Amino acid sequence: MSIFTPTNQIRLTNVAVVRMKKAGKRFEIACYKNKVMSWRSGAEKDLDEVLQTHTVFVNVSKGQVAKRDDLSSAFGTEDLTEACTQILAKGELQVSDRERQSQLEHMFRDIATIVAEKCVNPETKRPYTVILIERVIKQLQQSIQIQRAHMRLRFVLPARDGKRLKEKLRPLIKTVENEDFTEQLEMVCLIDPGCFRDIDELIRCETKGKGTLEVLSLKDVEEGDEKLE
Amino acid sequence: KNCIITKCQITWRSKVKMGHTSLEKIIALQKKTPHIRNLCILAHVDHGKTTLADCLVASNGIISSRLAGKLRYLDSREDEQIRGITMKSSAISLHYTTGGNEYLINLIDSPGHVDFSSEVSTAVRLCDGAIVVVDAVEGVCPQTQVVLRQAWLENIRPVLVINKIDRLIVELKLTSQEAYTHLQKILEQVNAVTGSLFTSKVLEERAEKDAEAQSSCTENGSGDQVYDWSAGLEETDDSDLYFSPDRGNVVFASAIDGWGFSIHQFAEMYSQKMGIRSSVLLKTLWGDFYLNAKAKKIMKGAQSKGKKPLFVQLVLDNIWSMYDAVVTRRDKEKVEKMVTSLGLKVMSRDLRHSDPKVLLSAICSQWLPVSQAVLSMVCEKLPSPAEISAERVEKLMSVGARRFDSLPEQTQELKKAFLDCSADETAPVIVFVSKMFAVDSKALPQNKQRPLTQEEIAQRREQARQRHAERQAANQSAESPGSADTGGASTTVAPASGAVTDALCAQTEALSVKTAVEEDNKEHFVAFARVYSGVLRKGQKVFVLGPKYDPSLALRALPEGCSAADVLPSVPHMACCTVDSLYLLMGRELEELDEVPTGNVLGIGGMEEFILKSATISTSPSCPPFTPLNFEATPIVRVAVEPKHPSEMPKLVRGMRLLNQADPCAEVLIQETGEHVLVTAGEVHLQRCLDDLRERFAKIEISASKPIIPFRETVIRPPKVDMVNEDMGKQQKVAVIHQVKEEQTKYPEGVQVDSTGLVTLTTPNKMATVGVRAIPLPEEVTRLLEDNVELIRTMEQFSLFAWEDKTLDINQKILENIQEFKVKLESNLQGRKWRGAVERIWAFGPRRCGPNILLNSVEGYRRPSVWQCLEREKETEKAEIRDFDNSIASGFQLATLSGPMCEEPLMGVCFSVETWDMKLSAPLAQQDSIDEDSQTAEPNIDNQNESSDTHETNASSASSNRSRSGAEAAGSSVDCYGPFSGQLIAAMKEACRYAFQAKPQRLMAAMYTCEIMATAEVLGRVYAVLSKREGRVLQEEMKEGTDMFIIKAVLPVAESFGFADEIRKRTSGLASPQLVFSHWEVISSDPFWVPTTEEEYLHFGEKADSSNQALKYMNAVRRRKGLYVEEKIVEHAEKQRTLSKNK
Repeated sequence: MSIFTPTNQIRLTNVAVVRMKKAGKRFEIACYKNKVMSWRSGAEKDLDEVLQTHTVFVNVSKGQVAKRDDLSSAFGTEDLTEACTQILAKGELQVSDRERQSQLEHMFRDIATIVAEKCVNPETKRPYTVILIERVIKQLQQSIQIQRAHMRLRFVLPARDGKRLKEKLRPLIKTVENEDFTEQLEMVCLIDPGCFRDIDELIRCETKGKGTLEVLSLKDVEEGDEKLE
Repeated sequence: KNCIITKCQITWRSKVKMGHTSLEKIIALQKKTPHIRNLCILAHVDHGKTTLADCLVASNGIISSRLAGKLRYLDSREDEQIRGITMKSSAISLHYTTGGNEYLINLIDSPGHVDFSSEVSTAVRLCDGAIVVVDAVEGVCPQTQVVLRQAWLENIRPVLVINKIDRLIVELKLTSQEAYTHLQKILEQVNAVTGSLFTSKVLEERAEKDAEAQSSCTENGSGDQVYDWSAGLEETDDSDLYFSPDRGNVVFASAIDGWGFSIHQFAEMYSQKMGIRSSVLLKTLWGDFYLNAKAKKIMKGAQSKGKKPLFVQLVLDNIWSMYDAVVTRRDKEKVEKMVTSLGLKVMSRDLRHSDPKVLLSAICSQWLPVSQAVLSMVCEKLPSPAEISAERVEKLMSVGARRFDSLPEQTQELKKAFLDCSADETAPVIVFVSKMFAVDSKALPQNKQRPLTQEEIAQRREQARQRHAERQAANQSAESPGSADTGGASTTVAPASGAVTDALCAQTEALSVKTAVEEDNKEHFVAFARVYSGVLRKGQKVFVLGPKYDPSLALRALPEGCSAADVLPSVPHMACCTVDSLYLLMGRELEELDEVPTGNVLGIGGMEEFILKSATISTSPSCPPFTPLNFEATPIVRVAVEPKHPSEMPKLVRGMRLLNQADPCAEVLIQETGEHVLVTAGEVHLQRCLDDLRERFAKIEISASKPIIPFRETVIRPPKVDMVNEDMGKQQKVAVIHQVKEEQTKYPEGVQVDSTGLVTLTTPNKMATVGVRAIPLPEEVTRLLEDNVELIRTMEQFSLFAWEDKTLDINQKILENIQEFKVKLESNLQGRKWRGAVERIWAFGPRRCGPNILLNSVEGYRRPSVWQCLEREKETEKAEIRDFDNSIASGFQLATLSGPMCEEPLMGVCFSVETWDMKLSAPLAQQDSIDEDSQTAEPNIDNQNESSDTHETNASSASSNRSRSGAEAAGSSVDCYGPFSGQLIAAMKEACRYAFQAKPQRLMAAMYTCEIMATAEVLGRVYAVLSKREGRVLQEEMKEGTDMFIIKAVLPVAESFGFADEIRKRTSGLASPQLVFSHWEVISSDPFWVPTTEEEYLHFGEKADSSNQALKYMNAVRRRKGLYVEEKIVEHAEKQRTLSKNK
């Protein structure tokens, strides 16, 4: 039983605990909130800004410090700072509020950017802006016309396989822009990028490498500025 | 609130006063062309245009003279009233009688704010004369100069009103003598501006003549050469250009107090009183003359003799004593004495009023009414539409650089119609529409509620009575059902039929209500126009000619003597339509008209389908379109506009189209990024456009934001000096701990980077290895590549065709251009490093035609050159294309499309492929079995784990499959890492990215060149704004003949948001910038810079957290795109909010 002696207590506030189990023992260190992720990503370089104290605990909230023997057996060193950095790098932690928030925000932005990059307004064939996409995702009851930007392909098939393949390709093609069947079948068409692999496979296998396939544009969008008049 | 209430009262009152008689009179006057004056009021902002217009409007009884100057009748928009500035030009027709002659005055009020100077242009075009208003205190201001120039360019005659003279008395407390010299100075200033306009024109003409003479000289090649050095100024007479009170083209006024006078009035007044001939007084009243009372003579040289000039003694002193008595001392007796001596009647209510201004304006508006002074001057001095000068006609008719003589003959004949300006039936109709303005459908006279005429009232009463009777009859019959079977039949029929008609009435009423509601939602456009010849009638068929219409083309296409009523073949920029409705513009009101004869300003309804912003309307197809309006302000403030609710996008687009039509200066466009951009002339203009979009055109909530700013990424040669300009070589590098740590994490496994920046990378299946080095391209080469995109595209196309054993025919001209392009490239790529580089170019990127180069430096690999279109004839040894050649190129394309710094395209980077080893011994037998798996196997090669890339990699892998040989099917060798070609693309892309990162990376910013005109006194402030926004001054020179400086500077696009506004604010509008995109420029600071040398440590400290421009831009882009940004979530760990309770 320890006697309650307030003057001897060092109280830690705003603690984020990082835990690690090693060599059958549990180790904890006391860090500041919202700092551990920055350390791991390399943005924070000052260890003192991350660690509350260069001490390895068994239990931070109870203030139980880890024994030296355990430390050396688990980390191979008695240097507390070294042990702390190891725990910091590999231990598990409760992600703090603002870390979570910024993570989510990044993720959200990333998703919106990808959507904006890959999709177009089917009417104008122009992309939507990221901000608009974000807004649509946030308020889901709103809806806009959106479509995966088409991919423009051009393929040349030998006359022999042309007819047969065309039937097989038909369901995969969205629109045929240009078709020329004289000596060989030459086609320029728009497809959904998801179908690309199928088409690629089909042409490669069926023509035994005779057919050629080429991507004219990865996404079919209007280029340049347009004046509204 | 008060203001709005009074407005209502006034509009009501105006209706009462503007009865039909007045409208009829105006219609009658419209036919007398020599008695029409079309004029506009021009001035700097806040010099009192609208107040003066109020006084003139009040003279016609449209508004009360008591409210003139406070009401601002022509500012009909709510935001105009709130902000107190005019934002559009609006017209009103006034009637004025002088000396037994009746005049029709079409007055156009214009805005003075710089942002709306386009509205001024639209007003000036329709007028023959202009009233230029100058503030007596402020004198000539920037906009005054601008409007004088505009009037000059349109060849319209100006008259001057020096306004706000009361401020000289009340605010500045000048004596009459001082005021006189002050007024003289202002007059001089105005005349100086006119003079310089005149000089520049003469000099220009002279230069033109010289050029012509020179060309003719060179043609002749001989003959005696005469050198004429006289500028031509001496020969040209300019005396009638200037403003001078004794010419009668200057009025001194105080519109707010309702008085104004010209010298004429006083001359006549005193000639009666003093018995001096008025012609003598007229000449001497303004100028250095004084009255010698003893000799009863008017003598010259008042200044040298210290005498009071005549103007002070006879004119100003009277006004000064009036102000003294009424405003300053409030001497009742003296006032009464003055009033009786002037023979005026002042109401006792005004005499007792506590505000002396009321009394003052009551006296002054009777004594020296401003409207009379101004209107009589206008009628005398400004030309009528019939007096249009031949010079102006030619200027209007010759579009662009085309000379009048070069127009078709029939068109030249129309000049006569202009000059005749006749309202004959036979005269061709020529109308110019200078702008379209939107009108609420409620405001259109057709939809307006009118007071009912006597007959209508009687008719309605009759109807109501009938209905009442029927209802009563029905009630009666209902009360006594089946009372009398015999009569019942007849009585029941009547109410029944009555009920039916009632129901019908109700239906039709409902219908009409519905259509009315529908119409309410629609914006109506009215064309603001003027008839230059002929009579425009309602229901007439006319041609609408767009600004790009060419009469000579049409004359060839159309049969001789055709009219708009015939069925005609379509001609570009020409449309046929019927004139829907014609309006008389009465400020905020419109009155319907049936016909408008020549020389009048009018509104035309129902033209929105045919006219975008401006157009020419004519009955003759040979009519040329009028020269485009000279806009002083070009739109420069850009914002991206988005609807609050994304589903309302179509509404926004529609609204923006309407806005574009309604505003002469606004531009709207959709950018490649998908942004809807609105470009306006200034911040105030922007605000108005957004308000219009919200409330009238789109009727949705919108948000405006900074537009997306593009960047480019590049590498540079390693810098020789550090951030503090110390030589790098001599200094010792200070080891930084965390940097070492970073170096290790920078490159993942399998990537080797040597000290020279060569990056070697192996595909995941260990089959191929590529070695790539990034080299910065010289600036000139980058520019060359940018300028020749079209050529590169052609070359690319040629290679593509060659691949399939086809040929593409390129015309000789383009081939020559390509050859020239190649030579230029060679001359710019000199030195050991670039030996033979041009021949070894593998591809251009991104999108196969960008400003980056892929170089083939692989030993022993000769591939067909990109220049093969040039060497078609000399078939050299057949170069061999290796398998997967295209994968390398595709990888390069992807890498250049988005760089590692912030996923923006690369620019000016050369990637040189130094090694490319393949182990193509892949066992073919296994292929088939593996092929089946390929569909499930995702090519998970992307080390960056950017999921977005996987798909693209995947996709472009196909482009590599342009295989021709059957054996190449081996190329589809698929293992758990996906198709091999895809792996190679990914490997190449990554190699390029790492090679890029191994070099000093820099960001490139888009730059505007910016031309600023500024006066000498604000030069310093212009520089301050420029340097604050990272701008750089290129040159500064004085404009010849003026005190204006022209500064040429470059400014990053990223810093340009709000620049125009800031510079205008800081220089009080004395400098106006023009921004044009010019080029891409490397930002010199390194976004990844950390202090490394001792000097840098000393200077910046260890953290070096001073702002780094490039880093700021880079992080902003990364944050926008949701990429990882290296920044701490919390800066200081200890400074966070403590959430736990303090124990």
